Parts: sequence; structure tokens; C-alpha cells
Amino acid sequence: MYNEVYKNSKVRKFYNQIYDWAKSLPENVIVKKKNEAENLFKKIGITFSVYNNFDSSERLIPFDMFPRIISSIEWKRIKKGVIQRALAINAFLNDIYNSGEIIKAKLIPENLIYKNPAYEIKMIGFKVPKRIYSPIIGSDIVRINENIFKVLEDNCRTPSGVSYMIENREIMMRMFPELFEKLKIETVENYPSYLLDVLKSLAPKKCNKEPKVVILTPGSFNSAYYEHSFLADLMGVELVQGTDLFVNDSITYMKTTRGPEKVDIIYRRIDDKFIDPITFDSSSLIGIPGLFDSYKSGNVNICSAPGSGIADDKAIYSYIPDIIKFYLGEEPILENVKTWRCYEDDAKKYVINNLNKLVVKEVHGSGGYGLLIGSRSSKKEIEIFRKKILLNPENYIAQPILELSSVPIFDKKKLSPRHVDLRPFCLVGANKTKLVDGGLTRVALNKGSLVVNSSQGGGVKDTWILNE
Amino acid sequence: MLSRTAENLFWSARYIERADSLARLLEVGYRISLIPNTERGYTNEWESILETSGIKDEYLKKYKKISKEKIIFYLLFDPENSSSVKNCIKTARENIRMVRTAVTLEVWNAVNSSYHELDKNMKDTKSILKELPEIIEWIKRQVNLIRGTILNTQLINDGYDFLILGTYFERADFTARIINVKYFILLPSINYVGSDIDNFQWSLMLRSISSFRAFKWAYGGQEITYTKIIDFLILNMTCPRSLIFSIEKINHHLGRLSKFYKQTSTSNKKIGLMYKNIKNLNANKITEIGLHEFLKSFIEEINFVYKKFEQKYFFGLET
Amino acid sequence: MKIKIKHSTTYKYSSTVPRLIQCLKLYPSICDNQEILDWETSTSNGKIIESHFDGLGHRVQNIFIKNFSGQLKITSQGILKTKDLSGIVKGLKEKVHPLCFLRETDLTKPCKNIEKISSEAKKNNNKNYIEFVHKLNLIVSNSIKYVSGSTTTSTCSKDALKQKKGVCQDFAHILISAARFNQFPARYVNGFLLEETTSGENTSHAWAEIFIKDLGWVAFDPSHKKCIDDKYIRISTGFDFEDASMIKGVKTNYNGDEFLDTKVDIESCQ
Repeated sequence: MYNEVYKNSKVRKFYNQIYDWAKSLPENVIVKKKNEAENLFKKIGITFSVYNNFDSSERLIPFDMFPRIISSIEWKRIKKGVIQRALAINAFLNDIYNSGEIIKAKLIPENLIYKNPAYEIKMIGFKVPKRIYSPIIGSDIVRINENIFKVLEDNCRTPSGVSYMIENREIMMRMFPELFEKLKIETVENYPSYLLDVLKSLAPKKCNKEPKVVILTPGSFNSAYYEHSFLADLMGVELVQGTDLFVNDSITYMKTTRGPEKVDIIYRRIDDKFIDPITFDSSSLIGIPGLFDSYKSGNVNICSAPGSGIADDKAIYSYIPDIIKFYLGEEPILENVKTWRCYEDDAKKYVINNLNKLVVKEVHGSGGYGLLIGSRSSKKEIEIFRKKILLNPENYIAQPILELSSVPIFDKKKLSPRHVDLRPFCLVGANKTKLVDGGLTRVALNKGSLVVNSSQGGGVKDTWILNE
Repeated sequence: MLSRTAENLFWSARYIERADSLARLLEVGYRISLIPNTERGYTNEWESILETSGIKDEYLKKYKKISKEKIIFYLLFDPENSSSVKNCIKTARENIRMVRTAVTLEVWNAVNSSYHELDKNMKDTKSILKELPEIIEWIKRQVNLIRGTILNTQLINDGYDFLILGTYFERADFTARIINVKYFILLPSINYVGSDIDNFQWSLMLRSISSFRAFKWAYGGQEITYTKIIDFLILNMTCPRSLIFSIEKINHHLGRLSKFYKQTSTSNKKIGLMYKNIKNLNANKITEIGLHEFLKSFIEEINFVYKKFEQKYFFGLET
Repeated sequence: MKIKIKHSTTYKYSSTVPRLIQCLKLYPSICDNQEILDWETSTSNGKIIESHFDGLGHRVQNIFIKNFSGQLKITSQGILKTKDLSGIVKGLKEKVHPLCFLRETDLTKPCKNIEKISSEAKKNNNKNYIEFVHKLNLIVSNSIKYVSGSTTTSTCSKDALKQKKGVCQDFAHILISAARFNQFPARYVNGFLLEETTSGENTSHAWAEIFIKDLGWVAFDPSHKKCIDDKYIRISTGFDFEDASMIKGVKTNYNGDEFLDTKVDIESCQ
């Protein structure tokens, strides 16, 4: 197991000061600070936390005070790699919804695209504004050892968690201002203005004034509503629900007390199928009738574009290195995790014979659904998956079980290592890319656990990019 | 602001006012139950309270028969009664929660804690009959607290106007309704107008809108008569629950919105007309028209104003 | 053959509709099978607004009306010159890859009966896939009885097969389901058919297109046991009935009733 704090059992220089500081904290101070952090979250969060369904002002995800540190040299590579992926993903989306060069070049099997339900046929042939389909990409990065960072997956639809990145920093700065005086830590507070800037650069064809941006939320019962309202507030834009918008004469408006106000760019946090009951799921109550036609007639932009999800489909993931080479003519800066595509015979053979050593994922599923972690599953569970794979090999991929790096947490009163990952949020606009120097570090709070998802015992940490 | 924000503000204030009205109605019922000899009350007062709040049928559907205790529970706490005090406060809170950033933290806290305390009160209540006065007091206090917080902490902007409009649309409707019900349902026949029973019931009604003392002050302690009551509840600008007072407020705040947005609407014109007409009325004229006819058309007109107001500011549909 | 068509859809509303949006796909497809000599769409209220051409070649139009009450009549009419290309649909202006039409939808999910139909079609035939598809069409034609009014717009292929009756929509769904089940891309087509009817009343018609290697899209009409000829006019297409519909509307904040009436006049004009 790689512990990020150490190198040859000596504390790495980036962690020196923090480690000494953490060690020097008396037990009672740790307990006190933990409480203080809780209280601060309640205080800061009070405006927003009332939005979620949970009463009082509990935070959804536990916070750990020990920061995760990445040196600026390491970060430079991650940053370049993440931007490279984001650009390649957008080029890929633009290609498959138009001429399909990468398929003609036989780099990706046509079945994988055309038969994929995430490939939205209503987007075919449509020129999205500035050819940007997915302006916000959150790639999940894991660290394998001192030198290797790998991308585990890319989230191209509506990646969440960025509010935690900003809030974690806010809390750390309030609680330990002295650390920020001593160390040169890159700031993350520009994220909302970067996001607004990037979205504004994606105005639709028929917008000829300062574009109006709104965030579209499914409503206060959505688990990420807190984040939606948080972002709207920090960006200074309206947070709207489907019923706040309407389409008239192909133009999308927002209902205001001053009368209808034209909307140009919608940063939507609702799924494709709910966008418009005329074009997609007709039972959708949260969508806006006529929005899709308004979009296709160039009167409004929807970010991310419907159909962007194909790019983060697990079946496509293993092709990202090829995608980067094909569109950018560059070697991938960040590695992928080794992936066996079960529809390839050799791979299938290997996978079904080594299920206990592998993680098997269903390709169109998201998150932890349809997942098998071989080393932690019973013989029966493994058998079920073996059968499933043999029956529908094209529905599965497999990866080795990764040993994620670890970083200490304040476990009760002492430091104790836990596994972490990292999600930076890359923004892609018209001729510009932006990435704040930081990201969301998720940590598996249960000892030995590799699952960092908040729904399964995951927490978060502030992530520091240290400038030397 | 977003139409939805305005709508949520409006309805939160409207539901708070509604909770207030219900508490006052319950108070009337309670007072009657304290009077040992109820031969004066022909109709069961509790039943008439159900009538006033317009939910008798729904109540009977659930409980089948009139029972004091059940009615009180139904009006105060019943989760199945969409206009119980509990549900009014709950809906008010839901509405404010949706537009959390449009109100001050103080307003949110006032509404939120009212909701949680009411929930606790409900669970702690052992005998709803015995504890009724305390519960009523508590509700009135909470409503005043919320309203005071709105007046003292909110910015006096368009959002404020929507809050105030919610209060007065509800109040105008409630006062008109309670006079109407009194006139038509409580009195066994029109012959009783001016009788002891009549006057007794009017005095109860004055209490129900917390205006008994005010009436005494306004009319120099004279005895309660039909014309004076009409004058007081409909035409007296000093009575905060009179129809004219609510109309004046609605007219004023719709006017402010119109100025603020530099747009006018049919609702402005109509409410202006209503205000002008009601100013020129007197109690005798109302008697001439017929109280019931007057109230009926008043309710229709105020609903028309509301419809136009809603079309313009909430639905963006006024052409 | 020259065919003249007038197709009108009338909506009646029981009360005022606050906001009404109609999405129209009413223009005949541009392809070698039919030449549009004259075509126009019109509406009794509001105006028709051009939206876009979609990936399948539809010319999409919209109508937006607010505070509407009464009757709304949407009409499309014109004259086309058709050709019999033995069912093969040629020269379509579309950008969608045929493989996309292998996806299942709720209305066309395979079931036991579909499996039966396809194994019957496979009997004594392992190689000739053209023959296979024709046989499939024939078996589907006999799988249910044509009974008008026996199903609704939301009846799926499985249910139609179970009750053994349906209308052209159900025939098409069953054929699509069976074709996709056998890895042939298939889709739903809306259009018109010039035919002698006993009642003298016409309606719109629906059939299916199946993609066959070397031939391309071939249109089968399972309710008539044949491939399309020059009596068919192709209007819109999609995964199934719901996706392909010629007019789709949404009423916002409306609780009243909607009454629908369609009328089709179709005649050959030599």
C-alpha cells in the first residue's frame, strides 16, 4: 500500500510541516477542532443545507481535517493530462455525432457506439455551439505509487462534488489560518467564476448580447440540490426548475415577475431523458416542453449536450488513450487502468478464469451498480457474474483490483492511513480550458476499504496543491 | 425575480395568515364551550366553525359525526386536512424553504422553529381540549413573531410586496367569508337579524377576528348593532381586519409592484376600482344592496384581481 | 403515380389551455420513392415555425399558442409523384447509422411469441437473409388479426400478440420487434396508403422498415402482407409509434379534456 506521506519511510518534504503540525496537536485539541469544523459547516451550510431533505443542518459527507497534498510538479502533469482528456473527449463527441471518422478508421467498433443507448440519435448531425459537448468533466484519478497517477473514469454529464471542494477549503482556512500563512497553497475559490466564464463562451448561434446563464435543477428533493443552489449563489445566476422555463416561438424564457426573460445557456443538472417531454421521456414532469427544438434551432444552449454520456460509458473508457492519439496526435499524459473488454475473446477467457482477482463492471451502469469485486465476493456471487459475462460479454469490462494510495485521517484522536482518490473539475469553453488548482479528494473512512463513494462510507478532504 | 420565488413568498405569507385565522376561529369555539348555557347557540358552534373554514364535508367524510374533540384535532393537527394549522405552517415552511435565499435568516428561523415546535406541541399534547387555550395562544404568538420578523428584517423590495400581498389576499377573503357565513349559516332565519342571538353571535365574531375591544373603542362602547358591525368589519379603515383595510393594502402593494417593474396590469386597474367603490360605500347602502349580494360580488371581484395578479406575476400568461 | 393528399388533425379542448406546444413532422420524406410536387402545412391558430431538420431527415416545425380555447386544426396537404422500387427505400437524406435501430423500446420489447415467430421464420433457411425477412413479414402478418379499435396507442407488441389482434401500428411493432430480435435494424414508419376502402374513409397508415445488407432499408407492410409500392407515402420514422409520431403536443397546466379527430383525403390524380 502506498502512503502518500512517506518516501522510503521518511516523511516527504511536502508533508513535513503538515505532518509535524498534525502530530503536535494534543488529543483534546483534535476533538475540539473536529467539533469546531462540524459547527462551521453548520454555520456556513445553514443557508444551503436547509435545502436538502435531511432536517437540521447535517452535512451529507463527513469531513476529515488532514489535508491531502499534491506537489506542484505532480499537479502540473495531472492538470495537463486532465485537460488533454477533456479536449479529446469533446473532439470525440463532435466526431461521433457528425462524420464518425474514428469509426471509419476502425479504431472503435461501430457496435460500441451505434448500439449504445447512451448514443443519442436525436443529436446526430447537429452542430452544438462551439463544438463543445461536455464543458465540465470530472475525471476520477487514483494514485498507484509515487510516480503513477491513473484515470479510473471520466464523468462527462453532470459531475458533482465541486461544492465540497470549495467548502472544504473555506473550513480549513477558517480553522487553521496559520497553515495558510506558512504554506503556499493554490486557491480554488475561482471555480464559480471560471465556470460562468466558460459557460458564457458557449452562447448559442442566435444570441447576440451578453448571454444569460441559468442552472437547471430537478428540484429540492434531489440529493445534489445543495450543490446546485451553492453554485447558483456563487455564480450569481438563477437556479431554475423546469416549471420556471417555457418555450415560445422557439425561444426559451424564464418566468420572472418582470415578465418573460430570454435564457441563452442552461447548465442543466437533470438527466437527458427528462429535458423535454416532447422529444424524450413524455412522462417527465421536470422537463421543459419544446426545449429540445429551441436548442436545435440555435436559440439556447444546453450544457452538457444531450448524448454526452456516451463518452463516459465504461465501454468507451478503455478507448480513451486511442481517442487522445486520434484527435490530438499526442501520447496520453495520464494512464488508463488496464481494462479487459469481455467482448474480445482473449480478454473474456482471461476474465472468466481470473474473476477473483478482478473488478468487473457493467458497461452502461453507473456508480456501484452491476459491480463485482472479485476478492471480496463469495463463490456464489462470482459464479453469477461468470454466467452473466458468458451470456452478454459485450456488457462487461474488467479491471485489476487497484491498490489506491492512502493519506492519514484523524481517526478518533490519532492519525491512521485511509485510501483516497482525486476528482479535479476540468472546464472546457470556446477556445479555452480552465482548471482550478485543486480538486475533491474522497477518502474511504473505513479501515482497509477501497470504496470512496459517499453513499458507502466515504468522506472528503481538502486538497492542497503546494507551490514551492 | 423568478416567478416561482414570488409565488413561494406569496403563499408562505398566505398560509401563515390562514393559520392565524384558524386559531382565531378555534378561539371562538372554545369561548362558547365555556358558556354554561348554550341555549343561545342553536347550531352547534363547532359545526359552524367547520362551515366557516369550508371543510365540513371533508371532515364528515373522515369522522362521520360531529365531535368537539375531533373537530379541534382536525382543525389543528390532522395531517389529512390540508388546511389544518399544522399543514398551513408546514406548507408555509415548504414555500419559504424553496426560496431560502429570498428571505432573511431571521424569517427562516422564525418559520422553521414554529414548524418544529408545533410538531413537538402536537406530540406532547395529552388533552387537546384542556390545552387548547395554550395552543391557540402559542399559534397567535408564533404568527405575530413571523410577521414581525418579516416587517423588521426583510428588505422593502418586490419580495416584501409579495409577502404582504399574500397576507391581505387571505385576510380579505377570510373576513368576507366569515361575515357571510355568520349571516347565512349561523342565524336560523332572517327574522333573527337584530335579535339577541344575532348580537351575541356578532360579538363572538368580533372576538374571532380579535376586534372586540377595538370595536368598543371605535364606537365608544355603544351596543353592538348590525349596521355598526357592517361599518366596522367592512368600511372602517382603522380596523386591521376590515375589508377596506385589506383592499387598501392590496391596492398599495400592487401599485408598488407596478411602479417597481414599470408595468401595469389588469389587477392594478381592478383593485383601484374596488378601493374607490368601497370608500364611497356606507352601511346603509350595503343593506340596500343586501349584505349577502355585496359579499358575494366582493369575493368574486377579489378573486378576479387575484387571478389576474397570478397570471401576470406567477404564470407569465397575461397578454 | 401521382397522389394527392389532404391530412388534417383537429383538437378540441374543453377549457382554456394555458400553454400549448405542437411538434410537427408532417413533411413527406425526401427520397427516390417519392417526389414532392407540392406540399404545405398550415394551422388554424397561431403560426407554424420552422425548427430544424433532424438526423433522420425530418423537417421539424412547431406551433406555440398560449391561453388557447376552442378548436385547433393542423393541416398538411399536397401532391406527390411516387415510384414503385420494390419496397427498397432509396436516397433518404439521413445521417443515422442503421445499427442504431437495433435498440429495444418499451413498445417493441421481444417476448416468447417473438421468439416463436423468429424460429418459425428460420425453418429450412440458414443462409438467405432476404428470404428470411420476407418470411418474417409473412408470419407476422398472420400472427394477429386486423381488428380496428382493438388496441390503443400504448399497446406494446407483446400485448398485441397475446390478444392476437391489433391494427397497423401493432403489426408494425411486432415486425420491428422480431427483426431486431434477429439482429436486423428495424424502424417504425408513418405515412399514407392509397387504397380502396369500403367506408370511403381513409386514415394514416403505419408500417416498418428493415435494414438488409446489400439492399439498404426495405419497407414491409405486415398489415398488407407485402412490401411497399407506389401507393405508399412516407412521412416520418422512429424507433416505434411514440418516437415516430407526426404530431406530438404538450399542454402545460391543463386539466381539461382533449378531443382528437383526424381526417385523411387521399386520391390518385392521373
